[in-house]
Amino acid sequence: MSNPLGQPYRRPPGLYRLARAFRRVSLVVFVLIILFLASAIYSAVEVVRSGPSTGGFGATFAANDTVAVSGILNFSNPGFYPISGFAVHIRVLNQSQVYLGEGSAGPVTLASGSNQPITITFYLPVGSSGPGASLLTQDQTLNVSVWGNATYAYLFPISIAVETNKSWGAPFADLAISVGTPVPGMGGAVVPVTVQFQNHAKFADSGELTFAIVPTGGPSCGSGSFDLDVGPGQQFGQTTNVPISMGCSPSGAQLEAEYVGNGVTIPLPPERIP
Amino acid sequence: MSAPTPPPAVGYRIPSLSFRILAGGLRLLPLIVLLVGLPDAALTFLQSHGIQLPLSILTVTVAGLAIAVLSTARYVLKPTRAYGPLSIAVSLVTIAYLLTLYLIGTFVLNLPGHAISIGLGVTGIVGLLLLVPAISLLAGIVTTVEDLRAPRERLPFDYPP
Repeated sequence: MSNPLGQPYRRPPGLYRLARAFRRVSLVVFVLIILFLASAIYSAVEVVRSGPSTGGFGATFAANDTVAVSGILNFSNPGFYPISGFAVHIRVLNQSQVYLGEGSAGPVTLASGSNQPITITFYLPVGSSGPGASLLTQDQTLNVSVWGNATYAYLFPISIAVETNKSWGAPFADLAISVGTPVPGMGGAVVPVTVQFQNHAKFADSGELTFAIVPTGGPSCGSGSFDLDVGPGQQFGQTTNVPISMGCSPSGAQLEAEYVGNGVTIPLPPERIP
Repeated sequence: MSAPTPPPAVGYRIPSLSFRILAGGLRLLPLIVLLVGLPDAALTFLQSHGIQLPLSILTVTVAGLAIAVLSTARYVLKPTRAYGPLSIAVSLVTIAYLLTLYLIGTFVLNLPGHAISIGLGVTGIVGLLLLVPAISLLAGIVTTVEDLRAPRERLPFDYPP
């Protein structure tokens, strides 16, 4: 074979061929990386457009003097590449920036073209001695930090952190327990006990509210209960007459109440009887 | 021992210097758009929305201009012995630029007013991209050696008739 000038083709020298090979490999690598990048960006846009959604958020009283809050994060990955090591964490502080609780879900791997619901549950302590006791009776603003991390398309570690304020509706908002003057009745003395509150939570207060009148340093000298079926947004206000033992003076005593329902017992903040 | 005598430089046609300067200038424009214009526009967009930049606009501009100008000079001087060293220079500047990105590691974008922070790790992709100038650097070294050993040897193959 010859070139257009009729001269025979000459094989390029070794060094020339080596340099040319390096340049070609470099170009091929570059093109492959650009193609990978373009497809990764396209896939990422598809993932964002698919819109991760949240659903099924709910709360309920749980064991160990807690309120369990759970939710479902529906995540779909319509892109070409997997999302691996996907984990979500939540931390909740009260309005005084006191730590209340945290939860996490994952890590999971979302394969390409898959949908996966991720359930996350965390527990807020509402026991009378814990930092979250006021959650039972006071509406407040909670500081919620959510952060997640994952590796997208094998090469891109991504982290997202969101800090937001969420309003908390107390299940026994503005709880007020008042004790009247003892009057004769039931073969001895009875004292009228009135309980009022509003359920600002998103779950019902179903069960029983028990209480006891406990004088300073002494055993209970009277107790009673109310049946509860107070839905979200509803008010509760009832009065009952509680027989008290002879010689017991409610004045100065402490009224200790508990909510009993769904198999759990939650102590409510005690109230001093004037 | 003296270097082997290069074969006679026949059967090739090198474009004139003025043509190469013109073509190099035309080639420079898209390079500047790609290496300076688009990245600067993206960074300016982020900055205008109050997002702290992971990399200064000055760094991107200087690095982009350096790569574009060196690449153009390499094109113009391709028939000369400066081609190999300029190839090495382009690769080294590109490697330095990519290493700067590599050392940043994670680009963190804080969206103002939303208390949202997004972090994107770039070490993996930048590490891959480093392969490109690294391999080009080898090509530049080989070409430099070739030009030292046998000047003009490559010209009939770079500029075939």
